[in-house]
Formats: sequence, C-alpha cells, structure tokens
Amino acid sequence: MMEPSLELAHVTKRFGDFTAVDDLSMTVPKGCIYGFLGPNGSGKTTTMRMIMSIFYQDEGTIRILGHDRAEEVKDRLGYLPEEKGLYKKMKVGEIVAYFGMLKGLDKREAWTRARDLLQRYGLGEWIDKRCESLSKGMGQKVQLLGTLIHDPELVILDEPFSGLDPINMETMRNTIRDLGREGRTVLFSTHVMAQAEELCDYITLIYKGKVRLSGTLSEVRSGGGRGAIRLDYEGDGSILAGHPSIERLNDAGKTAEIILKEDADPQDFLADICGKLRIRRFDLRDPSLHEIYVRTIGAEEGREVSHV
Amino acid sequence: MSRTWLVARREVVENVRTKTFWIGILSFPVILALSILIPTWLQSRIDVRPFGVEDRSGWLLKELKASWSLPDLPKLAAALRGEEDAPPLPASGLPACLREGGRLKAALRALDGDRLQAFLGSLPLLAGLSSDEFSEGLGKGAAGAALGGFPLPESLKREARAFHREVLELRTWWKGLPKEEAEPFRGPDGFGRYRLEAEAPEKELKEMLARGELFAYFVINEDPVEGSKGAEYFSKNLTDTKLREWMTRQVSRIVRARRVAKLRLTPEKAEWLNRPFRFASRTLDASGKESKVEKSDVVLKWAPMVFVYLLWISVFILAQMLLTNTIEEKSNRIIEVLLSSVSPRQLMTGKIFGIAITGLMMVGSWALFFILGVEILPLLFPEASRIISEFELARILAEPIYLLSFFGYFLAGYLLFASLLAGIGSVCNSLKEAQNLQQPVMILLLVPLFAMMPVASDPNGTLARVLSFIPPFTPFVMMNRAGGPPETWEYLATGVLLALTVFLTFRGAAKVFRVGILMTGKPPRIREILRWLGAPTGSIPKRGD
Repeated sequence: MMEPSLELAHVTKRFGDFTAVDDLSMTVPKGCIYGFLGPNGSGKTTTMRMIMSIFYQDEGTIRILGHDRAEEVKDRLGYLPEEKGLYKKMKVGEIVAYFGMLKGLDKREAWTRARDLLQRYGLGEWIDKRCESLSKGMGQKVQLLGTLIHDPELVILDEPFSGLDPINMETMRNTIRDLGREGRTVLFSTHVMAQAEELCDYITLIYKGKVRLSGTLSEVRSGGGRGAIRLDYEGDGSILAGHPSIERLNDAGKTAEIILKEDADPQDFLADICGKLRIRRFDLRDPSLHEIYVRTIGAEEGREVSHV
Repeated sequence: MSRTWLVARREVVENVRTKTFWIGILSFPVILALSILIPTWLQSRIDVRPFGVEDRSGWLLKELKASWSLPDLPKLAAALRGEEDAPPLPASGLPACLREGGRLKAALRALDGDRLQAFLGSLPLLAGLSSDEFSEGLGKGAAGAALGGFPLPESLKREARAFHREVLELRTWWKGLPKEEAEPFRGPDGFGRYRLEAEAPEKELKEMLARGELFAYFVINEDPVEGSKGAEYFSKNLTDTKLREWMTRQVSRIVRARRVAKLRLTPEKAEWLNRPFRFASRTLDASGKESKVEKSDVVLKWAPMVFVYLLWISVFILAQMLLTNTIEEKSNRIIEVLLSSVSPRQLMTGKIFGIAITGLMMVGSWALFFILGVEILPLLFPEASRIISEFELARILAEPIYLLSFFGYFLAGYLLFASLLAGIGSVCNSLKEAQNLQQPVMILLLVPLFAMMPVASDPNGTLARVLSFIPPFTPFVMMNRAGGPPETWEYLATGVLLALTVFLTFRGAAKVFRVGILMTGKPPRIREILRWLGAPTGSIPKRGD
C-alpha cells in the first residue's frame, strides 16, 4: 500500500493541566478528502497546528508526506487557518503572489499563477485593489487562493466553510472536490456534518481530544446502528415529540430524522402518523452523520442532545 | 535566508507606503530648517520689546541713546585693521573719518590692546554730545570726563573739536547704513531687540504698561553715579529678565565711566581695574602635545550629543514601529498563515531586518537633508549662515569615529531594543496591553537620555564609564562619549558585551515570540515570560495563576 499522506500515532498535547489532544491516531490516505469532525473546542485546531508544526506535540509521532516535521515539507503543504487575516494595506495580487513566494515560487511564476487564480475565481478586477477594500467573502477567497497557489500535495483547511454565504460555500465545496479529483489530499475540519457528508471519503470524529469514530463515510454510517427514518411532512409536528414509538427525534419543522425504539415497527409508525400529518416523504436508511454525531457526543455528555 | 528576506522586503514595502514613514522622513528637514530659520527670524522680529524710561538724572538716557547710535566698535576696529575673523567692511563705503587721513582711522591703527579698548569705550560718550555741548564742556563736564578731565591747551582743544566732529560723522554714517550691511557690526548690546518707546513721567508710563503698549519701563534715579537707590524696573512679565539685565549692563557701563572720571583715573587704569581674570583654555592633542582650544574643538566635543539624539530618536521610532506591526499582524490573525510557510524565527528576523532597512533609509535621508541643508540654506537665507557655520559640518564629517560609531551603535541599539519590543509585541493583543508591558523597556531607554548632559561634559568620568558597561545603555553612552574619546579597550570590551547581549536577547525574544505570537487572551506576566525562555521550543508552558 502507498504511504499515507499523513499519519498521526498516539499524539498528545497538553496546555498546562488541560489535555487538548489525547492519544489521537489517524491516517489520511493519499488522494482522499478527509473530514475532521468535532464540536467547537474538541481539539481540531490544535491537532492541525501540530500537523503544521506550529505547535509541537508532547507525545506521539506525526508523519507527513514521509517526513517527521511539517517544516521539512512546508512547500508541499497548503494551510488555511480558521482565523483568516490579510495585510490590509497590501494589494490583492501582491498578497497572493507573496504567499506563493513564501512557498518557494519565484517571483514571475508566483505572479503568473496569482493572476490566473484571481481570474478564475472572479477576482480579476481586484488584483490592484487593497485588501481592506474586499468584502469578507472575497477576503476569504483570496486567503484560499494564497493557500493553493503553489499546488500543494496536501491541503489542510481549518473550518473552511465558517462564515461563508451560500455562493461562496458552493465555491469552496467545488474547490475541495476538484482538489480531490486532481489527486491531492485534503484534510478539512468542520462541525457541520452535512458538509462532511457531501464531500468526504473518510472521517474522524473527535471529542474532548479523543477519537470517537473513524473510518470511511459508509463504514461510519453503517456502523451507526439502527436505521433512521427521514420524514418530510406538513402539519403540526408536535405529535411526533411525545410519540411512544420514537426513541430520538431530530425535528427541523418540515423535516425530521427519527430513530424508533428497538421494538417499534416502522410500518406501524407510518400508519399511525399518516392521518395526523401530511407526509411527503418517508425514507428508512442509514443514520445521517448528523445523527451519528449527536448520538456519539450526546452519549458522551450523558444527556440528550437534540440540536447542535 | 531567502524567506527571511521575503518577509523583510514585504515589511520595507509596507512601511514605505505608510504616511508615518514619509512624515518621519520629511519632518526632519522641516525641523532642521525651522531650527535654523526660526532663531534667525526671532532675532530680527519677534523679540522686540518696547520699553519706557523716566530719566530723573537728566543725562543718563541721553548718553545711553548716544551709545546705541554707534556700531560695535571693537568689531569695526578689527575689520579696519583687516584682522582675520572680522566681518567684511560695508560695501557701500566708509565715511571720511575712517578713510586714510581720518583721525579716527589713525587712532584705531595706532592703539592696541587695553589702550584701544579704553579709547573705544569713550567714543559713545562723545557721540552723545552736540558740537556746542562739546566745545562748552571741554575741560569740564561730560566731555572732560571722557578725556580724563585734564585741562587742555587751545591747540589741542581745536584738535579735540575736530576729532569730536569725526565721531558725530561716524554716528551719522552708521545711522544711514543699509540694514544688511550694518548687521555684522551690530553690537551685542545693540538696539535691535529692544525699542525705546517712550520717554515720559512714570505716571504716564504706568498707564502705557497697563494698556500693554510697553513690555516694561525703567525709572532712573536722580544721581545714578552715586548709587542705585530709587532706580526701578516695572514689568508685568517677571520671567523674562533679559531686558532688565541688558539695561543694567548698559547703565553700569556709563555709570562706571562717570565714576572713573570722578576719581580722576586714566581710562587705562579704569580698564585695568575692570578687567576680569581669565584662564586660557588649552588641551592635549592626540600626540600629547599642548594645543590651543578653538571654538570648533568645543563644537566637536558636543557634536556627539546630536548623534545621540538622532540615535535615540531613530531607535525609539523604529522599535515602536516594530511593536505596532507585530501587534497588528497578530490581531489580523495573518500570523498563522505566515507560520505555515516560515519559521517564527525567520518571521521575527525578517521583520526586524525589514524595519532596520526602513530605518536606515530614514536616517540616511536625514543625513542627506542635513548636508543639503547646510549647503543650500545659506544661499537662500543669508541670515541663516551665521547659525549654520556653528555646525562645523566638515570637521564633524572628517572624524570617522563619529559616523562609524553612529551606524555601528545604531544597528546594535536597534537590534537590542527591537528584539525586546518584538518579544513584547508578540504576547500582546492590543497596543494598550503593550503599553503596560513596554514600560520597563522605556525606562531603560530614558536613562541614557537623562545621562546625556553629565556624560557629555565628562566623557571619561566614572558615570560615563560605568554606564558604558551596561549593555542597554552602551550604544547611547559610547556614542555620547565619542568626543572623549574612550580608550580602545573600552570600545572592545563594551562592544563584546553588547554583541553578546544582542545575541542573547535576540534568541530569547525569538523564543518568546514563538510562544506568544499565537496566544490570545490576557497577556502573560513577566514572570511567565521568563519561564518561557527556559522551556523547550514549541511547547506551551503552563500558565501561572
């Protein structure tokens, strides 16, 4: 088997008494899109910073593109941190080219690519404008271009979707998908499960610094236990809330994900609600990532979590 | 290294685009020009103080006015004798009395030393008398006093009258001389800065003072020769005593002459009586030989202070710039992106060098402006040349030790303080936080500034020597001492100590920078920062409580 792009083995990081990452192991195969999931504060950013050698782990090993330290392969990595910033006074073209040069491109190459990328992402007119004149969404796009300008083999994106509007989210999604198709490895973190579900080949879910779930998307979903019912409906959903057959309910108002009790029959349940709600779709399938997430983290918390 | 260079270059480009940079560059020539032109301008215009006098003696004011009506006679005499550092004679020509055949000219040529001084001292008194008064008083009264009070035969009296007419001629010529030509011969007690606005009884003067028409007024008592009882000075401004001092000098001179006459002393004896005691200033030159102290030597000894100021200002401005930039970068959150491409040390080194280059550009431009200013300003503003000539630029530039020390100590001092402030900047999230943390550094910076005068006046004294060996002060104090100059071993020893300190500070700062730059929240205490210095690279030590 090919050597994985990234391999973490028993990595632990402590800040004083607080253990941010606890004995974390994870393998990112070459050429896959890998989702790194977990609620806020679970250790995702710290892990990514360790991968990038911005922090050093206290214990464990990290192998990245066949090396022990990201510092040795910096030029082959692209990193988009969660908190994104630009030099306000620099021009858009300059800053993208500057990031390229910092990754070892020569000046001419960096400028050619910067112009191409900006053109391709619809920012061609902005090349000579200062960064401070960009809107937030455009600024994030410029950041992303700065991350990708040197054609990195491994792209690490920390919460790439946070704060994006639907159009930019679409662009980000397409970009990640295209990177995957080009054979690059992408590791991105998120706490919105739908995004992971759409894109990822593999996922790892961490909580409180520990790995809770890991594997390919289908492995994780099929391992998620009993199937879930996806229900699209119209009418008063409150009858669902107290229904005796339902074990857990993720009700979004017009759609709901329902896990029935072990002894309940989906057919009986359908028959029961049929007269009370106008049903547009009734779909029994593997639980969604969201459901798995809620189930896993909720169990850990020792309480019922219905919304995240 | 090339990444460091990229960071440095970006830093230079960014700074060059800021207004602060251009204000920094342009403010210097503006300040320089102003510091030369304003005193020139003030001297000629602003400082005019109108004053009033009530003269109860009846004669003192008249003599004063007469003495104000003559040029600076010692200077004029020096010019007529063609002495070396005398100003050039007025281009519009001289009166007959100062040309060949003139009695005044002959007297100025014949006399020298104390006798010349005594002779020149008597001229204002003569100028105060009209021809009639002079003839009438020959042998007695004021004119007699001026001539020592000796009775004269008729032929000499005739000669004396002719001489007196020459003095009046001098006075008329001086009065008509164009302002620019008169300027070099205006006496130190000249009438330029003060204007006699009113001669009136005290009551009237008091009202004028109350209305603000006068800056001050004097009351001269009935018999000033006897004593100063009853002589008074009135002003609403009690801090500016210059007018009173000036008037005191003037009156004292005349009163002294009167007293001399009363005692029947010859002018020579009087001059001797008044002559102060003086030490001639000598120094040892490099070879240990004795040499005379000239004005330029003194200037040269004080010149390092100018360099210390420049050094201090540039180190201060640049270190602040670095601090601001670091904090900005940190609060921008761009730092993490940078750290995925360059190491924290490369980033910090790049920033420090980038700003050093910016600083050298600034200081270099100042030097250029300075040289240009000294060369060009006198052409544009002739009045400014007198002040500029005191800079003795050529002599300062001819001493390589000054310029070499300046650039050497600029780099060392900058690196030291820039590292400190980069470290501080990295742990702060806002300028406000940084202001608290940088206080100790600012105090360190202030010490050499306060020590500047004492060190300059005793460059090889104990204070100067001790301060030189405290590394944060070394650049400033050693620059300050350049006029000494310090011995070679001191340069070497303090240099090694300084280099070591710069190296260690830089390393320590890089360590703090690495930990601090990603940290958010409450800035750490100094105790915590010190602990980071000992911690292994890349780890985040526990935060103390």
